This record gives sequence, structure tokens and C-alpha cells, in this order.
Amino acid sequence: MAPAGGGAELLALDGVGKDYPKLATRGGRLRLVADLLRGRAAASSFTALDGVSFAMRRGESLAIVGENGAGKSTLLKIVAGVIRPTRGRVAVHGRVSALLELGSGFHPEYTGYANIDLAAALLGMSPAEIAGKREAIVAFADIGEHIHDPIKTYSSGMVVRLGFAIATALAPDVLITDEVLAVGDESFQKKCVAWMEDYLRRGGTLLLCSHSMYHVQKLCAHALWLDHGRPRMLGRADEVAREYLAWHEARAAEHRQHRRDVVGDYAVVALSVAPVGGGAEVDAARGLDVAVEVRSPDGRAPVVAVGVVRADGTPVYGTTSELDGVRPRRLAADRYAFAVRFHALPLLPGHYRVRAHAMDPEGMRLFDHHEAPFVVQGTTRELGYCRLPHAWTADGRDA
Amino acid sequence: MPQAGTTDAPVAPGAVRSAARLRALFANFFSRELRTRYLGSATGLAWALVHPLALLAVYHFVFTTIFRAGAVATQSFLAFVAVALWPWLAAQEALQRGTVSLANYAGLIRKAAFPHEAIVYASVGATLVLQFAGYVVVLLVLVAIGEPIRLQGLLLAVPLWLVMAIAVAGVALMLASLQVFVRDVEHVLMPVLMIVMFLTPILYPLAIVPERVRPWVAANPFAWLVTRMRDALLDGRLAPQWGDLVALGVATALFAAGLAMFRRLSPHFEDFV
Repeated sequence: MAPAGGGAELLALDGVGKDYPKLATRGGRLRLVADLLRGRAAASSFTALDGVSFAMRRGESLAIVGENGAGKSTLLKIVAGVIRPTRGRVAVHGRVSALLELGSGFHPEYTGYANIDLAAALLGMSPAEIAGKREAIVAFADIGEHIHDPIKTYSSGMVVRLGFAIATALAPDVLITDEVLAVGDESFQKKCVAWMEDYLRRGGTLLLCSHSMYHVQKLCAHALWLDHGRPRMLGRADEVAREYLAWHEARAAEHRQHRRDVVGDYAVVALSVAPVGGGAEVDAARGLDVAVEVRSPDGRAPVVAVGVVRADGTPVYGTTSELDGVRPRRLAADRYAFAVRFHALPLLPGHYRVRAHAMDPEGMRLFDHHEAPFVVQGTTRELGYCRLPHAWTADGRDA
Repeated sequence: MPQAGTTDAPVAPGAVRSAARLRALFANFFSRELRTRYLGSATGLAWALVHPLALLAVYHFVFTTIFRAGAVATQSFLAFVAVALWPWLAAQEALQRGTVSLANYAGLIRKAAFPHEAIVYASVGATLVLQFAGYVVVLLVLVAIGEPIRLQGLLLAVPLWLVMAIAVAGVALMLASLQVFVRDVEHVLMPVLMIVMFLTPILYPLAIVPERVRPWVAANPFAWLVTRMRDALLDGRLAPQWGDLVALGVATALFAAGLAMFRRLSPHFEDFV
């Protein structure tokens, strides 16, 4: 990853992979133990993670994104030292504090207080060393008298509160958090996000795992997208988030899409999409040219419906040549061409598709369905998919 | 400090397997073990004393009144059994608790990086410390009721307990690491310990074992331990022997083997515990 500052390298992974042994029978377990004792690889294994390389310097922040089972937690556990990679090298220079999932590093039978001491012991600190930090931890966790109860009686929100309070109080060089922001209530989430932002401003290093692209983009400068245990994309957080969301939307649409048979004879034979002014991606300010060619079996001029949909198939806008009173250009006896320019697209950066349907000359029956993808260039942290004209004013009225 | 995380690397990445951390964790787990196991419940500590005392009374009754094996013992049978039975029960309990100790910390093993052996040490250590306290109490009780116990024998008994602790810790490390993968260990252990106990001259003197099998019985390390305990506490023979050094060597070897096996397997605990 491109280093933002010239800080010291805290963390470096080189071709890291992890295989988990697969077990079927009881005998398999004995054979596995024998293999492990002889230092051999397990007979059959499942690759949870493969070929992951990245480096982090002090003050950098990296988000790990990916579906459930993509290897995110395995990667965080490797960095935290909970598991040893099967392949590759991991170098850690500094104190890593990991908040892996709920109640990580907690003993359920211990009270909240005793778990503070345990967390300190896990880092090699004596109870005396942690004594000065206890009050700050208890105050940050804000769980009242429950601090004297065993952790097993806590709600998940309370566990996360205490876990976060401890992980942050121990002044880690690298803070690892796995989905913890998804658990606490909103006010605690805000507190955590505020703490992390401050931590990053002070030069802290954050390795975050989250399904929330909002948190990913808000807290992390870079992101790594894991897909089936393999790195799929490593880059700026907003770019990775954009690609990841688009991939998700496209996959969701794939599930929904039924293969429609072409009914009748009116059909789109060609659909092309080109950014105004050329290039691979569309500049929203300049717009998009769409050209459609439609076959007409009886030689009459057909109607075409053209629109823009999001990558997941959600319609953004659509119109027809009939609505706009446009007639096609005749190319041949059975061929007609349409051309339409969408100028100044108010779309946010991301993946979209142009959708076109051939219609009969009456504009009544919809025939086939064609799509062509395009990308609106740029990055943004705005939400939604189109930009509404707006202005911030002092009291909600026009300035 | 740079750490390599390759398969055979002795150090887990991101983890400083330092002595300080092992000590801090051992202290934490050890005090926790003591508190929850015995001091937590009202009857816990009392039960830790009552159980071996009751067992001692039963064996005394069975072997002196019914089987009359006691007749072959030169001294009082009660003192003869007590001196040997207690260390055995301590070792047995330490092995049993040590074997299953990792499961109690499953959540921690799955989510935190630390030397797992601290758990086994704490479990074995807490058991042996409490059992040793019980041993001293029993010896005092026996002295009080006029049994021929020589308390200065503790000068040798304490080092003997330490040698036993080293050996027991080693075997517990092996069993605990195996138990994570093969759950049957825990269930096989009980009958095996039962058999070993009867093959050890605890309830009978080595002298009544037939010549033919006596070398085999005597080769059991625990037989040596029992013999030395009786030397010290019943006969007041405190002079060290070469055999003591051999015993220390055997115990150290067991411990080294146990730790080696444990370290080999512990990186994989997270997935199986």
C-alpha cells in the first residue's frame, strides 16, 4: 500500500495464507495429531486465506471488507497473533491490541473488573501497571455496577463497551477491531467512532473489519477486499468500497434476473454506451451518449424505451421515444437507429447500466431487454445515487 | 522486534511470548483457580480435606480389618498408607484437572494471543498447592493421634513434591494438548489412573510383591516417590540418594517432552478447543 507518511513500518504481511485441517472421523483426529507432531501438513485441508500481502506504517488505517467467510476474521487473528499462518511471513513491530468479535479476550466467569486485569496480563502487564487505567476504562465502558458482575451476565452491548474500553486504554500501537461497531447502541457507536478518529489523528494505526461501508470510508484511508480468502482489491477505501458495493449489487441483481425470452420480432440488435468526450468512465458533468439499433420485422418504425438503472437493477430514470415524440432514423428496411444523449447526469460516482427495450410501433408492447454498463467516475462520501441540487442555509430558508 | 510467522517459527506473530507475560498470566489464572475452585464455594475447601481423609479411613478399615494386608507393613498401616496415598491423589487430581483445563479457557484461546501453557501450569499448580496444604494438615492430624510420623521428614518431602510437580506438569501438558483434539483422553484417563494406582505400592509395601514382578513394579517412577516419602516421613532417613537425581532427570525429561508436544500442537488449539 502506498505509504501516506514516512512513519515506521508497524506491520508487514507477505504472502500470508492459512489452511485449516478438515476432519471427518475420530481416526482422522488421531492422524491429524500425528501429522502435526511430526510437523507435516494435515492430509486434507481447507484454505481460509491465501496470498495476502500488505504493509502498514504508523498512522495508517486499513479496512478489511468482504463477505462472511471471505477470511477477514482469519486475517485479523493472524495479525493479532491468535493463529499462526500456514504460509508466508508476518512481521509485527509494536503492541497490538485486538478486539476480535464479541467478548474477545474475556473470560465469561470473571467479573468485568477481573477481566481488566486479565486483559493486562495478556499483554504482560501486572495488576499494578493497569491500576492507574482502571478508572478510565470503567468510565469509558459506562456500564455502572455491572462491572462487578461476571461477563457471562452481560448483554452483548455491555461486552462490547467493556471490550472497547479495555482495548483502547492499553495504548496499542496497532488497534484491531472486528465488526465491533455493529453491536453497541448508537450513542456508544458514536463514542467509538469519535475515539477512533481521535486515535488516528494522534497517529494511531487501525486495522478494521466491517460490513459498513460508511465506517470503512469514514475511518480508513485504505481498504483490502477479500474474496474467498484471496485479496481481490487493495487501494483507497472509497474506491474499494465503491467496487465492493457494485459487485454486491450486481450479484444481487443476478439472483433476481429471470432470463426473458424474446417475444415477437421487434428486438434490440445493438446497444452502445459512450461517455461524452470519450474515455472509459463517464464524467457526470459532460454526460453520456446512448445508441440503440432495433430490428423491425414488418418495416414499420418501432419505439424504443431507454433508461438508466443502478448496478442492482433499481431504475433511476427511463423514457421512451414515443413519449418524447422522436422518430428513429431508418438504416435499412428492417433496421432503425436511435441516439440519445443524457447530458449533465446528476448521478453519484459508481456503477450503473443503460437499459433498452424494443417496443412495437404503438408503444404498447415491450419486447426484449438489453443492458450496457457504465461507470460514473470520481469518489464521494455522499449517500444515495443521485445528487439533488441543494444549498446549506442558516435557518432553512433561502439565504 | 521482528517476528517471523512461518509454520515452524517458535514465536507466534504479533505475540511477545515473553517470560513477563507468562508470569503475569500464570499469576492471574492461578489465583483465579484457587478462588473459584475451593474458596468460591462454602464447602469447597472442607471437601478438599474430607475426601482424602474419608478415603484414608476406608482403606484403613478394608486393609487392616478385612484383607489384613496391613500385617505386612512394619509400621502403623494408617501412617504407611497416608504418607503415600496423599501425593498420589494430588498427582491424580492434577492430571485430571490439567487435562481438561484448556476447555475452560476456550473463549480466550480462540480470541486472544497468549502462551496457552499458562493455563495448564495454573491448573496443575493450584491443585498441587492445595493438596500439599492438605497433606501437611493430615500429617499433623496423624501426629496428634499418636501415629509414628516424623515431621522433619518434610525436609525431603517438599523437594519430592517439587519433583513430582515437574513430572505431573509435563504429563498434564501432553494430555491437555491431546485432549483438545481427541476428547476421549479425559475418559480413558480415569481407569488408567485407577490401574496405575493399584500397580503402585501405595496400599501395600513393595516387599510383599512377588520377586518375579517386583522389578517391574519398582520401575514405576511413582513407586520410587512413594518409597522415598516413607523413608523420610516414617523412618526419618533424609540423606539424598543418587536415585533422587535420576528422578529429577526423569521428571525434567517428562516436562521437556510435554512442553515440546504442547508447543507443537498449541497453534492449532484455536480451531479445535
